[in-house]
Amino acid sequence: MATTTATITINSTDLLTDELSLSSIATLTTAGTSTGVTQASGLARKTTSAASAAAIQANVLYRAGDYTANGANKVYVKNTSTTAAEFYTVTIDQEELGRLYAGDWMFMPWNATSGTKQVFTVTFASTWAAGETWTFDGITMTCPSATLALIAAEVHTLNYPNWTTTYGGSGAAVVFTARYASDATEIVYATGDATIVSANPGTAAISAAAVGSASESDITIRPSVHTAMTYETLLINE
Amino acid sequence: MATTTAAVTLTSDLLSDNMSVTTSTTCMKAGTNADGLDQMDMGYIELASGTQKNLIDATALGVGKANKVYICNESTDETYYIAIMIDGMAIGHLYAGDWMFLPWDANDEAADIEVLAHTGTNKIGFACFHEGRTLLAVD
Repeated sequence: MATTTATITINSTDLLTDELSLSSIATLTTAGTSTGVTQASGLARKTTSAASAAAIQANVLYRAGDYTANGANKVYVKNTSTTAAEFYTVTIDQEELGRLYAGDWMFMPWNATSGTKQVFTVTFASTWAAGETWTFDGITMTCPSATLALIAAEVHTLNYPNWTTTYGGSGAAVVFTARYASDATEIVYATGDATIVSANPGTAAISAAAVGSASESDITIRPSVHTAMTYETLLINE
Repeated sequence: MATTTAAVTLTSDLLSDNMSVTTSTTCMKAGTNADGLDQMDMGYIELASGTQKNLIDATALGVGKANKVYICNESTDETYYIAIMIDGMAIGHLYAGDWMFLPWDANDEAADIEVLAHTGTNKIGFACFHEGRTLLAVD
């Protein structure tokens, strides 16, 4: 079992009349157990910049949907800037946590509570021929044969930038699930959102489409200036 | 000015090579490197399971400042944990022995740091380093 420890010491000789010395060591375990956490992302370092102050954008540090919800996840972030007035504003969902000023660091637990992902089912039917195509999300599937099950299987083998797929191993239906949770303002996908090139023609009806709900705890950070600033981050997760 | 330093060391053998991250910061007032945070509140409480309370109140004097918050769940039963929230927004769970150190700009006076205890009576140590807070009026 991996052993991961986080140690903090807070010292001050002149904040109080007596010396302040506070120390704590945490051995990081999975939620509610004594088993050590087993996964980490990073250590990562990134420099942010924008063309102008008006062009400053928040950066998504971690997407909740990628990690175990309600796990004993921990996030470390440091602002490596040396200019005192420069800070990153750290936000979860829409709640501002605080500002990491130059040299500041933070270490906090993270719920990673995601929303729900948009889904739909595409079902291939009618008459398709080898070499005909179905295009969705910028990816084109070329029919390997006229067999509907093989066509569905081929759809499942492809990699879509914004979707994952599930195929039951038989039949002509493939379930598409969005990679990220999104809110209900997204469109409900329909058959016309894919492009069919089929002479006979074959059909690929989209059904059971449902919108998702927004993630509740993506972590974002926003630089205070458009000139270059650098942060470091590490996620330790279940 | 007061000089308060906060240092962290993260070590792990969960990667194929050992991981060690160490850093330290001197807790300064917002936007300066010449004037340290000079006020603090510190406490220790026991919070019964199912109870949600404000642990640290956001006040007018603290809004927009470079406050720093330390919270430690000093419980020893590994199944005990506290949920940390800011103005009702869930941040994460601090299990027995876990600690956190967070910048807290108390975005507005509703941005209290709240805790909700689970499983049993949790023992919570905390400290807030700040530039000032608005005191309650006399009853």
